[in-house]
Amino acid sequence: MIIAFALATAVLFGSGAYLLLKRDLVRMVAGIMLISQAAVLTIIASSLNRGQAVIHVGPDDDPSDPLPQALALTALVIGLATVALLLAMVHRVVVVFRTSEQDALAATEAEVEARLERKRQADREEVEGVEGAKEDDAEAIEHEELGRVR
Amino acid sequence: MPWAPSLDLHLSFRLDGLGAIYGLLATGIGALVFAYGTRYMTLHLEHERRGAVERWRFWPWMLLFAMAMVGLATAQDLVLVFVFFDLTAVCSYYLIGFDRSDSKARTSAVMALLVTVVSAVAMLIGAVLLYAAYGTFAIPELIERVGPSETTTVAAALIAVAALAKSAQVPLHFWLPRAMAAPTPVSAYLHSAAMVAAGVLVIGRVHRLLERSELVMTGLLVIGALSIVVGGVLALRRDRLKQVLAYSTISQYGYMVLLYGMGSSTSNGAAAFYVMAHAVAKSALFMTAGAVTMATGEDRLSKLGGLGRRMPVLAVASAVAAASLAALPLTIGFFKDELFFAAAWEEGSVTTVLAVVAAALTLAYIGRFWVTLFLGAEKGQVTERSVVMVAPVAFLAAVTVVGGLVTEPFARLAASGGEVTAGRPVEVDPGYHLELSPENLMAIAAWTLGGLLLAAPRLTTVLSRTLARAGDLFGPRRGYEAMLHGLDRASAGVHGLEVRDLRSSIAAVLVPAGLLVGLAFAATPTDGAFALGHVSGADWVILPLLGLITVVTLVIARSRSRLAIALALSVVGFALAAVYALIGAPDVALVAVMVETMLALVFVAALARLPQEEPDEDRGSVVRRKRRRRDVVAGSIAGLAAFVTVWGFLSKPAAESVSDDHIRLAPEAHGGDVVTAIVADFRGLDTLVEITVLLVAVIGVATLMRRGKTW
Amino acid sequence: MVRRSGRGAAPDSVVRVVARMLPAPSVMVAAALIVKGYAEVGDGFAAGVIVALAVSLTYVAVGADGAEAVLPVLRHAPKIAVTGLLLALASGFFPLVYGEEPVSHQPAPGEPLTKFGKLELFTQLLMDIGVFLLVVGVLVMLLHQFGRLRGEEKS
Repeated sequence: MIIAFALATAVLFGSGAYLLLKRDLVRMVAGIMLISQAAVLTIIASSLNRGQAVIHVGPDDDPSDPLPQALALTALVIGLATVALLLAMVHRVVVVFRTSEQDALAATEAEVEARLERKRQADREEVEGVEGAKEDDAEAIEHEELGRVR
Repeated sequence: MPWAPSLDLHLSFRLDGLGAIYGLLATGIGALVFAYGTRYMTLHLEHERRGAVERWRFWPWMLLFAMAMVGLATAQDLVLVFVFFDLTAVCSYYLIGFDRSDSKARTSAVMALLVTVVSAVAMLIGAVLLYAAYGTFAIPELIERVGPSETTTVAAALIAVAALAKSAQVPLHFWLPRAMAAPTPVSAYLHSAAMVAAGVLVIGRVHRLLERSELVMTGLLVIGALSIVVGGVLALRRDRLKQVLAYSTISQYGYMVLLYGMGSSTSNGAAAFYVMAHAVAKSALFMTAGAVTMATGEDRLSKLGGLGRRMPVLAVASAVAAASLAALPLTIGFFKDELFFAAAWEEGSVTTVLAVVAAALTLAYIGRFWVTLFLGAEKGQVTERSVVMVAPVAFLAAVTVVGGLVTEPFARLAASGGEVTAGRPVEVDPGYHLELSPENLMAIAAWTLGGLLLAAPRLTTVLSRTLARAGDLFGPRRGYEAMLHGLDRASAGVHGLEVRDLRSSIAAVLVPAGLLVGLAFAATPTDGAFALGHVSGADWVILPLLGLITVVTLVIARSRSRLAIALALSVVGFALAAVYALIGAPDVALVAVMVETMLALVFVAALARLPQEEPDEDRGSVVRRKRRRRDVVAGSIAGLAAFVTVWGFLSKPAAESVSDDHIRLAPEAHGGDVVTAIVADFRGLDTLVEITVLLVAVIGVATLMRRGKTW
Repeated sequence: MVRRSGRGAAPDSVVRVVARMLPAPSVMVAAALIVKGYAEVGDGFAAGVIVALAVSLTYVAVGADGAEAVLPVLRHAPKIAVTGLLLALASGFFPLVYGEEPVSHQPAPGEPLTKFGKLELFTQLLMDIGVFLLVVGVLVMLLHQFGRLRGEEKS
């Protein structure tokens, strides 16, 4: 049984990793889902003993290990929330960039970055100009004050 | 009370002498500043043409800050101190950056945050070092256990750095004058009585740790002295009202650091007294500056003057505060200097001279501040008068005078505060002694020197400007900016390398991880590390299910249609649910079925909202095929590594599990179903966090899908 | 596929009728799950998802706008979710007031409980109800967010 669980987990994880490397964002989400399934399966498979459900356990019963089950519950719930968030993100990306392809996204990002950098450069020049002027201003006031004191 | 017992963290609070002093300051001055702020913020928002609603971006942070300050004052645990330290820094970030359309306010806020938070990390490192050596974070226990050693020196130095940065001491002082971009109530509170006081509070609290290292104590002396001189000289010629006060604050906290650096019991008591006297006076002066600026619309000394006749109450009240700062008799400030002089005299001749110079500088800059504002030719138009903004100043002035006449309660507070610091009873006994004591002689010398400085503005101008210019050229702010630019560039570089091509960065994570696992696999002995396990009973049903899962998963990986992927994913999910049901996990199976149904719905709905997948033109091209082959190899390596890891991990189960305890305890916790009892009770905190994550995630979805409209 | 038919011109009438009738019994089942929670399978989370699934069937059958017209209560989903979270957090951290550790419950372990039929009254029940409300609210919000098709958005 151990090796069967390990094999199933490995296939889930490997396929998930493969999908993560795809160009399509939706497939990446699917990959993440598969990997989280692999994680839950591992947790469940790692329970020390398997027996009846852990409900009203008597002294002679042979119950399953409850702790991995509780952990798996949490993992499932969080997985649902994460996948919903990821899908929303994909949706947003598609709305904004009109593509769910990685390569196209990377190209757009590089372009935007270049534009931003140009703008930042312009801003910096402007700010430096203004700050220089302000310092002059302060100097002038101090000179004025000095003159008054004299 | 245990907080995270596994990390040995405890929520330990105690209201001792020090806690009382700082707690009183935080709440007392806090209350006054809040009253003052109600009017100030209304006017401020009007001037900035911003809606009155914006005050809700202000008050919650002030309130949170006040609570953090009280927490900090009473915290008895280094990690707790760190948490509150950072909490105050975060609040201050939002408060300083309140005028968010002003780029200067924004950079100032970031600067204050970075300087105080980054240095606070030094404190955490120090705490961890001490923990590693002495096994506790609790300050009282640490004080008992810690002996002089190299670890102690390093840890004490790290903690001191954090505290000094918070108290705006040279060379990490540059954030404070910049932080004057904040609305005045913030300065009156954070930058006089609370945030900057937090650093000195920490020094006072862990003083007996710092004492174990000669080096750190000397460091405190030097930095305190430097701060006094740098702050004082720079304050002499600032033009903006709040800048004068900011540099004055640097200088004044330098006094306290110096006192703590001396380390005698006299000086510890004096430091505690000094904190109170200074906070009251400085807060009043900040509020004066704000009231004047609001009344006239000017914030420069050179554009203001002769306000005394037009705002008499404010003039008198701030005169009292200024006199207290300058340590004139009949104010509580007189005693702060008396105690300071006494401690300095006890220490030696260098500190004696320094103390006199410091007091003279204080008299000179604060004298110039008040005289320029309220005496002389009338400058500036008074358009707005507000009782609410003058009353707190008057109240603080009254406190100052009362403290100057009846010192008893303040002295007692200071004594109990000093006792916490020194760990032994401390005498704080201020009073008027009409005799030729060294303290009185020093005071007279300081007043004379200060008067001379006040009367010789040319000298002070040259002095102050030279220092300011030198500071601009070689000062630590340059270093800060250079560091920020460097970090920015480094981050952009890493971003370009890593993030732009997401796929190669994923491969960059997966492949080395797989290789590492492989290495570990090769290095560990494999004899008997892997077990095949037996197949019995329900396992015969589980096996085909696992087979189904494997096949469908491979189908998903190869599938060309997104819809098919969605459906196949739910097949995998349901098959897994069946597996869970078969191995005695009905709770997980139930939830898995429902979560899978929900996921399938959401996935399909999301697909329906996405545009049709474009047909791949270059499918089958050489590049594409090469990449595909590469992906298959990467996926296989990942799968293989996962297989080896999981197999090895499952083959070596732990000898026993906490589950037995859980099963035993469940009936006592009124739980028949042990899993439910674990989720809701034994690990209840996890569940609380988890459901919070749910809500946060759905708010994230709402933000992405409809710009934050939750419905 | 059910979803397809919901999107088509004439939704299957059986689905529509079932969708109309399902929410009420689903709330009953959910209540049962919470009541039995500590003794049998199920807890607030499972109960919440059951109700949300019933609601989602309505979404599938009559579309997002239709579902929200049929069940106007859904509009309060965000409030329900936040209420649930606050309730759960409150019941979790309430013991701090007594100086006990968070998530310890009243009556304390081992002490006798007030029973109301099969329902055992103790503070953990509040947390379960909180989780239930939160899950219902969150999932309905999710359905609402994803439920509309492209171009159907009201501006």
